[in-house]
Amino acid sequence: MTVIKKSTVWICYLLGLLALPQFFDSVLAISIFNQMAIAIVFALSYNMLLGQGGMLSFGHAVYFGLGGFLAVHALVMIEFEILSFSIIWIPLVGGFIGLLAALFIGTFSTHKAGTVFAMISLGIGELIAASSLIFVSFFGGEAGISGDRTFGPPFFGIEWFQNLEIYYLAVAWVFIATLFMYFFTLTPAGKMANAVRDNPERAEFIGYSARRVRYITFCAAGFFAGIAGGLFALNYEFITEENLNAATSGRVLLSAYIGGLGYFIGPIIGAVVLTLMNSLLSNYSDLWMLYLGIMFLLTVLFLPRGFAGFIMMHQMVWAHGKIKSLVLPYLITGVPSFIFVIASVGLIELSHTDEAEFYYLGLNFDSTTAIDFILISIAVLAALFCIRKSLPQLRAAWESANEISDDDEKEAQS
Amino acid sequence: MSVLSLHDVTKNFGETEIIRGVSLNIERGEKHAIIGPNGAGKSTLFHLISGLYNVTGGSIKFKDKEIQNKKPYEISRLGLARSFQVTNIFARLNVFENVRCSLLWSSGYKYSFWHLLGRQKELNEKTLEVLEQIGLQDKKLTPAGELAYAHQRALELGIAIASGAEVIMLDEPVAGMSLTEAESAVELIHRITEGKTLIMVEHDMNIVFDVADRISVLVYGEVIACDKPENIRANTHVQEAYLGEVVTDA
Ligand SMILES: Nc1ncnc2c1ncn2[C@@H]1O[C@H](COP(=O)(O)OP(=O)(O)OP(=O)(O)O)[C@@H](O)[C@H]1O
Ligand SMILES: [Mg+2]
Repeated sequence: MTVIKKSTVWICYLLGLLALPQFFDSVLAISIFNQMAIAIVFALSYNMLLGQGGMLSFGHAVYFGLGGFLAVHALVMIEFEILSFSIIWIPLVGGFIGLLAALFIGTFSTHKAGTVFAMISLGIGELIAASSLIFVSFFGGEAGISGDRTFGPPFFGIEWFQNLEIYYLAVAWVFIATLFMYFFTLTPAGKMANAVRDNPERAEFIGYSARRVRYITFCAAGFFAGIAGGLFALNYEFITEENLNAATSGRVLLSAYIGGLGYFIGPIIGAVVLTLMNSLLSNYSDLWMLYLGIMFLLTVLFLPRGFAGFIMMHQMVWAHGKIKSLVLPYLITGVPSFIFVIASVGLIELSHTDEAEFYYLGLNFDSTTAIDFILISIAVLAALFCIRKSLPQLRAAWESANEISDDDEKEAQS
Repeated sequence: MSVLSLHDVTKNFGETEIIRGVSLNIERGEKHAIIGPNGAGKSTLFHLISGLYNVTGGSIKFKDKEIQNKKPYEISRLGLARSFQVTNIFARLNVFENVRCSLLWSSGYKYSFWHLLGRQKELNEKTLEVLEQIGLQDKKLTPAGELAYAHQRALELGIAIASGAEVIMLDEPVAGMSLTEAESAVELIHRITEGKTLIMVEHDMNIVFDVADRISVLVYGEVIACDKPENIRANTHVQEAYLGEVVTDA
């Protein structure tokens, strides 16, 4: 039965990806979906390292970026007829380059996990980012390099002029890459990656070289990061140093973490959320980076297992049909929380704005006098007060929902 | 014929000599106990044999191959398995996965990323068998880190024996267990080491005399006696150094 359920999940995943443009078909939406597709593959590959293999990397963008650069070069070569193949294979070029880079760098970086690995990844990241500004003919300096995906033999008449066409191509690659990364977790090498993450010493006493296990995971992660880089090249048709520097490495760490490292689906959620925040929030506010930072902090503090962990927490309660008892407590805490967020954002934006008149949520505020500051502050404090008051109730409801599940289980067992 | 032989093995930590010239022959199929006071170097000796530490001097032969200073995974692949005094498991993997992982190499999967574990019928059945042996079949989906102490010790044992290695080294396998738990653990050890070679560190003399064919007494990094249990019991030298107090305790 679980087999059927799993394949259903995969079919839903594919259909969901395919159906997205049916619901949102604006130019902006398609461009966001393309970003999402790229981010999903990239974040999943990152989670192979950190979640599965216990390797904290600050330089994963190197494999994404190198894959992307070579992919753009490949596009250029196709344009000048040095190479001749359909551009649907471009992500594979990226993956191959990511794999090559990982095969080489992994020989010395996977010696140890922990701080040593993290520091080496940081060093390599800086090194490659610096090189990309030095070797201008390959990396194109600050401006980066660009290509054109519309050359090369058409694929069943598709010539890749539209972003929507690229989206469907990306879906195919995302689906395949996700499937393969998932399968990897179920293989001996993938499972031993978990074992080495938990206890590298003991792994060596059951016949496995911890270093070799890490190396394999590292190479696989590099390969899939390269695929994501190739998708990036196809979508944007250009790539710059920014795509392999520390900021990009940091962002992928963020999305995997926010989504939940311990769950396969975590990075997918994280990638979607972060892409949405990235592209939607940045339209509305200059301060979106600040909000991103705050969200990251709050997640680390209150949801250490990420969004996916939060969802999975409810599995037991759901299975025992107790989820209904949580709806009301969630609402009672949720509504003031929502007001708190809205009001806090208002306060931050009001302090930030240069204009005397400030529109927010259809209301008109005056940033030159103290009155509006005080009013919003009162709203913030009142919301905070309500949250604090309602928290014990929520906690009690949560505990009772889980307790009853325990009893049920004992009954079921006896 | 000796399956494992140590020749004049020494180990220093900095200036301190912890193992001071140990020579020892373990016969194939023998049940060998190593006893000695706290800090004598019993665990250190295990670490040297199993490859966790490099020796300072001397040689160790396992099945006619020199194994001193080889990596733990190389020694493990030759057919030597061990457990640890301090529980040493894969905390976030569940019980089933813990045992299955320890079966992987000996089942020939190596670093394969093209086999799906769920499809490996024989491997999974073997894993279940081991779980039944160690009495953890009901807990197979529990993360190992969340097990009760006695169950973790059972799992520790399970990981060591799963691969079916011909030489099994157990470092205080029943330490910290209650009397009944220890009894069933000893029974288990009897069962799983049948026809195999066992080297065991143990403080409880009743268990030692129950299990061992031969006993080595290690004191301050030196083997002061190595003999049949009845001779060890009678050895005044040993009694002075170690046994007297323990036997009267027990
Ligand atoms: N890594 C190390 N560095 C320095 N000294 C060590 C190290 N490991 C062990 N020792 C020392 O070596 C001595 C022997 O330790 P070992 O753990 O082998 O004793 P043991 O016989 O197993 O004792 P116990 O019965 O308490 O388990 C101890 O004095 C210990 O402090
Ligand atoms: Mg010890």
